Amino acid sequence: MNYIFEGFKFKKKNTLIHDLDPRAKFIYLIMSFISALLFTEPIPLVIIFLTSLPLVIIAKTLKEWSRSMKSLSLFVTFIFILNLLSMTENRLNYAFSMVFRFLALTSAFSVFFLTTTPDDFMSALEEMGLPKEYTLMFTMSMRFVPTLARDLQIIVDAQKSRGLELEKGSLIKKVRNYVPILIPLIIYEIRRSIMIAEALEARAFGALRKTTSYTELKMGIRDYIFIFIVVFFFGMLIFLKIFGYLPEWMMIKLPEII
Amino acid sequence: MKIIEFKNVTFTYRGNSEPSLLNVNVEIERGEFILLTGPSGCGKSTFCRLLNGLIPHFYGGELKGEVTVLGMNVKNTPTYELAKYVGMVFQDPENQLFLSSVEKEIAFGLENLGLPREEIKRRVNQVIKYLGLENIREKAPYELSGGQQQKVAIASVLAMQPEVLVLDEPTANLDPYSSLELLNIITRLNRELKITIILVEHRLEMLLDKVSRLMLMDKGKIVVDGPPQDVVLSPEMKIVGIPKVIEVYDRLKKAGYEFGHPPLSPEDLAKAVRRVIGFHD
Amino acid sequence: MTEIVVEVKDLYYSYNSQPVLQGVNLKIRRGEIIAIMGENGAGKTTLIKHFNGLLKPKRGSVKVFGIDTRNASVAELSRKVGLVFQNPDHQLFAETVEKEVEFALRNFGFEEEVVKKRVEWALNLMGLAKYRNRSPFTLSVGERKRLAIASVLSYDPELIIFDEPTAGQDFLQKERIAELLNLLRTRGKTVIIVTHDVEFVATRFERVIVMSQGKIIGDGSFREILSNSEILEKARLLPPQIVKCAWLLSDIGVPRDTLYPEELVRKIEEVIRR
Repeated sequence: MNYIFEGFKFKKKNTLIHDLDPRAKFIYLIMSFISALLFTEPIPLVIIFLTSLPLVIIAKTLKEWSRSMKSLSLFVTFIFILNLLSMTENRLNYAFSMVFRFLALTSAFSVFFLTTTPDDFMSALEEMGLPKEYTLMFTMSMRFVPTLARDLQIIVDAQKSRGLELEKGSLIKKVRNYVPILIPLIIYEIRRSIMIAEALEARAFGALRKTTSYTELKMGIRDYIFIFIVVFFFGMLIFLKIFGYLPEWMMIKLPEII
Repeated sequence: MKIIEFKNVTFTYRGNSEPSLLNVNVEIERGEFILLTGPSGCGKSTFCRLLNGLIPHFYGGELKGEVTVLGMNVKNTPTYELAKYVGMVFQDPENQLFLSSVEKEIAFGLENLGLPREEIKRRVNQVIKYLGLENIREKAPYELSGGQQQKVAIASVLAMQPEVLVLDEPTANLDPYSSLELLNIITRLNRELKITIILVEHRLEMLLDKVSRLMLMDKGKIVVDGPPQDVVLSPEMKIVGIPKVIEVYDRLKKAGYEFGHPPLSPEDLAKAVRRVIGFHD
Repeated sequence: MTEIVVEVKDLYYSYNSQPVLQGVNLKIRRGEIIAIMGENGAGKTTLIKHFNGLLKPKRGSVKVFGIDTRNASVAELSRKVGLVFQNPDHQLFAETVEKEVEFALRNFGFEEEVVKKRVEWALNLMGLAKYRNRSPFTLSVGERKRLAIASVLSYDPELIIFDEPTAGQDFLQKERIAELLNLLRTRGKTVIIVTHDVEFVATRFERVIVMSQGKIIGDGSFREILSNSEILEKARLLPPQIVKCAWLLSDIGVPRDTLYPEELVRKIEEVIRR
């Protein structure tokens, strides 16, 4: 189960993809996303899914990516069966398409998050116009995840030391046993957030509408080439679909076996 | 030169029936190094929060009297304005570090002030060099020890080049060596950079020989205020515990030995004893 | 021979493949009042978490009141071992102060009358009886700390461990804690405090154990340990004020292990008269 997340967690590596400007990668993500949602035909969706593969390989993240994809097999099966049972016309074709739409989307996200730090992602959003309050919210949430995990562990330890047994008892008792865990945690974190707010104020947060930025995102030749390829490729696909110029072979449907 | 003034200040937090500060009158001059101490609940933190406008803007309540900081009336000046001149460091370093690296953290306040990127870079490097943080500049907050975290907290405030630095029990969660290190840094800021310091602490022994003024608070009032060598001899000192070196000094004085002014550190005491021995030889 | 309540044999423990405890050997007898000292990260908290089973040894063994901790649950061991955590806000959750103090007693299955009696006793001991129906969250920081202590003392454990009880406390609060420790001593309890507050420990704890980097580097009386510059330095602890004075005057005849102010005064007078 844990392996699902491995495909979305940043790992520092020295590859072409890692070094790309996050905005370029974000454009790739958006265009994959739009294309994947636009198509219902299986072959284009498989193609869209496959576009992520060379990126995964160049980024040397094949292991993490495949582990993640494998652990999603449960979801995949679920989607397949669900769609198989729902549609009346050409169910097998449609179910197959939906599976690959899901895989195309998750794969694109995976490539993005495996090669982009949360900070860079936030910088990209900021450069593209998202106000600082939102990016700060996100960055801070990520930064405090280990802190929260540690607080939770201390609380669990403290209550266990007072005789609280989390595994014992009926289902109702088990749920009630979480009250002494959740209440201190929630109150503790609320108190923490007040202190954080104080500290933010003390650092002049909110002094100006438009703040400056310490980190710089600079696009280089590689980024522009990458964006060009991405926009050209997906742009073409989208164009062909919207204006009805999709070639025959792309519209092949699976036979109606089921 | 007077830079901070409290005139008949009484403050009651919203929802409280009793005031936390009662008729406080204080004048603080530029360059002072003030140690503010007192029992829990005496109003030390309330006093501090008035210095950068957290009271009354963040913490609501009834503020009577006037607090003026560097010519600005705190009631009418928002915190983000006061924060340019008054830096504040709090007790828990964890809650003062929000970003994913030390560098970014130090830059944060400067970004908020809208300084140009080049200036931010310059100041970040300057502060990192001054406080010796080069080898941790890319680390994330949770990778740092408590002492390092507090150093980074000070660095991020220092980069904003405040004229006044307020620290509310910054060593509370630190072990002895880290505490001493931090207090030495604070002393340097006062001596080398001429920053006016208001430091709230319980650990008096480490500070008596470093500060220029000792303010004792109790139940919302300032009960003693003056140079450390005078304050440590006041009867009110027992509220916060008489430092051991003063206890020794008192007993020796009662036994008839003449020591001059009270010792503010073991070194002081040792020197004084040697002087007395010199006279007795 | 007094009963051994805690026996630690060759204890090793690591966290995230980082070694935290590297071969700890320790025997604690009933009635001892011990301070375990060292800098943050020396392994003190990790060690005491083994005493109520929160952590189990990676190598070696820990026996508490004769029970091997690997074969007992935290609940079982907590019945005899009370652990007061440093920050009370990590445990307060109940609707009222009274219910908070009852919590452990109810978990351990005490009878109603016993619960009522013990809660009453604990509230009075910690001066919280007047707050019994208030929400724990309306109390001040100092009061919450006392409440955390009350909720552990209420079920009367034999061994009580305090993790950094004096951190952030003012002078009077520390005096109260010292009084409480004395009271526990007179009731025959075994008490351990984990701390780096040398001033608090000096003259109060008959046995001081010093840890550094996962090992015990000193174990003796407060006089032996707190005047030993080598051990203090290795553990990154500063000497108590009086000891520091003594060291600075050791060349003129003041003994280096002077710990009490009265002692120092006497020794200085002796030197002056010579």
